[in-house]
Amino acid sequence: MALADVLLELAFVVAAMLVTATLVIVGPRRIVAAARGFRWRLETCLLPFAALVVVLLLRWSTQDIVRRLERRVLQNNITPQLFAFDQALFEPVTILQSFQTEALTSFFVFVYIYGYAFLLIFPFIAYFALEEMDELSTLVLAFTANYAIGLIFYTLFIAFGPRNVDPMAFEGLLYDAFPQSGALTHEVNQNTNVFPSLHTSLSMTVFFLAWVTRTKYPVWVPVSGVLAVSVALSTMYLGIHWFSDVIAGTLLAIVSVYIGVNYTVEGIVAGVREVVASRLGPPSADGE
Amino acid sequence: MDDVGPPTTRRQLLAGASAGAASALAGCWERLWSEAETTGPEQISMTIKTVPADDDELAATIASQLRENYEAAGIDATHEPIAEAELYRDVLLEGDYDVFVARHPGLDEADALYGLLHSRYVSEHGWQNPFQLTDVVVDDALETQRSATVDRDDDLEELLEHLLTTTPYTVVAYTDALCGAAEELDVPVPPKRPQDYVRLLARSSNDSRDRPLEVGTYGEGLTERLNPIAVDRSRLEGLVDLLYDPLARQIDGDYVPWLADDVTWEEGRRLRAEVTLREGLTWHDDKSLDADDVAFTYEFLGDTSMGTVDGGVPAPRFRDRQSLVESVDVGDSRTVTVSFPETSREVARRAFTVPILPEHVWADRSDVVANRRTEALATDNDDPVGSGLFRVADVTTDVEIELEPFDDHVLRTTTDRPDVLEGFSQFEGIRFQIAPNPGAIVDALVDGEIDLTTGELPPTYAESIREADGVTRVSEPTDAFYMIGYNSQHAELGHPHVRRVCSQLLDREHAATEFFDGFAEPATTPAQLVGFRDDAWDRDDDVDDTEPELLEFPGSDGAADPGQSRALFRAIHYNYEDDVLLESSG
Repeated sequence: MALADVLLELAFVVAAMLVTATLVIVGPRRIVAAARGFRWRLETCLLPFAALVVVLLLRWSTQDIVRRLERRVLQNNITPQLFAFDQALFEPVTILQSFQTEALTSFFVFVYIYGYAFLLIFPFIAYFALEEMDELSTLVLAFTANYAIGLIFYTLFIAFGPRNVDPMAFEGLLYDAFPQSGALTHEVNQNTNVFPSLHTSLSMTVFFLAWVTRTKYPVWVPVSGVLAVSVALSTMYLGIHWFSDVIAGTLLAIVSVYIGVNYTVEGIVAGVREVVASRLGPPSADGE
Repeated sequence: MDDVGPPTTRRQLLAGASAGAASALAGCWERLWSEAETTGPEQISMTIKTVPADDDELAATIASQLRENYEAAGIDATHEPIAEAELYRDVLLEGDYDVFVARHPGLDEADALYGLLHSRYVSEHGWQNPFQLTDVVVDDALETQRSATVDRDDDLEELLEHLLTTTPYTVVAYTDALCGAAEELDVPVPPKRPQDYVRLLARSSNDSRDRPLEVGTYGEGLTERLNPIAVDRSRLEGLVDLLYDPLARQIDGDYVPWLADDVTWEEGRRLRAEVTLREGLTWHDDKSLDADDVAFTYEFLGDTSMGTVDGGVPAPRFRDRQSLVESVDVGDSRTVTVSFPETSREVARRAFTVPILPEHVWADRSDVVANRRTEALATDNDDPVGSGLFRVADVTTDVEIELEPFDDHVLRTTTDRPDVLEGFSQFEGIRFQIAPNPGAIVDALVDGEIDLTTGELPPTYAESIREADGVTRVSEPTDAFYMIGYNSQHAELGHPHVRRVCSQLLDREHAATEFFDGFAEPATTPAQLVGFRDDAWDRDDDVDDTEPELLEFPGSDGAADPGQSRALFRAIHYNYEDDVLLESSG
């Protein structure tokens, strides 16, 4: 019930942002062209989308297994290390939170939830409207890499965010300002999965790809840049992530973009098939 | 002649230099050798485990302050947040910790210390001696107080003094239960225990409504496991006790017969009690509840493997209460005779407060599923068959669990029932709605989606409830407390002196006012420091006069002063090197 309300509001706000951005950045001409050729466009990037769906399904279906593996078997709790790193550096979370004002909190809550959702969805529309589907395939593969690598880290490490360690030193601003959002974040993630920050990595992925495609959408580069950096800052300001999570998230974004740009799902599948065939495939009986 | 010649030839210089170098090197080598041969003492390190703030803000805050204070004293302290279910596994099941901070639901009677501290439970799971303490003095005192009839208070006082000096654990503060409720609802106390819910539902001023009472709470996985005898999961306080009835309930210090109709005591060589059950008792699945179920329950709690595992696999809950009972003999279908080994009546009656389990359900759960773990301890028990005033309705999700009235319950119809049930019930059951965090339940309350919250609201929300329209705030002191427990198998924490100094390193007054916003009472008396809020049996002035040194905090405003705290460790013959506290041996 609370979740449904939050989702509805999220849908409305993000839809409004998407419509505005599509009109301004993509432009009516491209939209009309994309609408006409949506069939071949979809067919072209079916494979990368399938890969993304597989990874997301894997994440969703293995929740219980991953949780038991992470918490009961592997039990690598790195929270103290993340905390120590933050302290040794210059306490970025504390510094960010020291600028706390009501307006700034509202801004970061908005960015963390609505801005982030917009940032993730808009590139799909924008790249879909291009003449070639290469950019869209790159985007989808980069997202897939983000989720897949993130899942590995989340299994390997238990890490709690700042607000969970010391509520006196780090305020849990998100849930103070907007408790219902807990229903949403609870559905999507667990509080033991903060290293690396997927909020940061996905946002940065979008920004880096915006740079790669800067000739197509020059306006999108500064817009996504400001949003991506704001999302990264918001995760710390709201007491959800450590500085290390944000660094790791940015590194993950770089790796994911590298994979997205240099590889294709077809290529990866073919490569895997080749390896499997050469290892397992029966050598042809007649050598000739 | 002015030729004085070089005062030292090159050769001499070289020789001198090499000799000097050799001797310097020799010194150096000697130091290296001795360092290699004898490993010097290293810094004392301790890991403090507690739940994340999502689960318990207060425990997280106390642990955090404790870490800072330990560091001020030169200890290499780490604070490791760990999910509630996992904390209970690590602390209560695996003993894998150095220091833990946890909320204890409260000790119902002095004899509860038996389960908490007796060395016979050192290898058992649950709140049974989680400190891994083996202290013969404690064991003796725990046994003596059980059988003592006249001088029990003296025995307990001795035990208390010993516990203050050895400090296996220490209490920080007693919390107030706090809840928010709709203004038109008459809420006597914030609901936590089953009787709180019963009282609330019985209030005639909450004139009858044909809908369930909507209660809001927060937490992770609260509906996943409804096993009344397991400890490894977080649970909704009071819920399981509404489903399972005991022979008697402890209400306001009195033992009120519940499933029992009557108890007659027989004090011969052995203490015995003849318990008569009420007439017409049934389980939620309509099978009748009889004396066999009662006898089965005590036997099963003592060994859930029903004799198949050598030494037995006891249930990790109610262990101290179960251990009071020697045997249960079935008379007819409504009577049992319970025999107690050397025990006073005062202590023995605690045994009647364990939940009675249906034999036809639990007898099949005695199979061993893993190393010393039976089906009974592993099961989620998601379709609980109890005999309580409520049963679980079919609709149960992650965010909601509904208890529907069990209409066949004897206490719903009979006139001869406990006073607490007068007027019961003005509602059609209870529905718990589970929000992801306390902020969301406060919002739901203000929006009128729920009638009230459970009594576990963190104090930080007290203000927002006071300011909101149409809702009131209800609070009540409770016996529940926050404790710091030590692993007595830890190389340094094995020394009582170290535990005592460590227990001084938290400013209890400051914690109660700052962390709890005043919704707590700091532990200040000897009895309070070991877990008893009301020191009814602590009458001797001797104990009171010795101002517990545990309360002398070496610092101010919550923060430990490095100089003062180090002086405490030096006083117990510990050494420092470069402001680092060194291990005693090494």
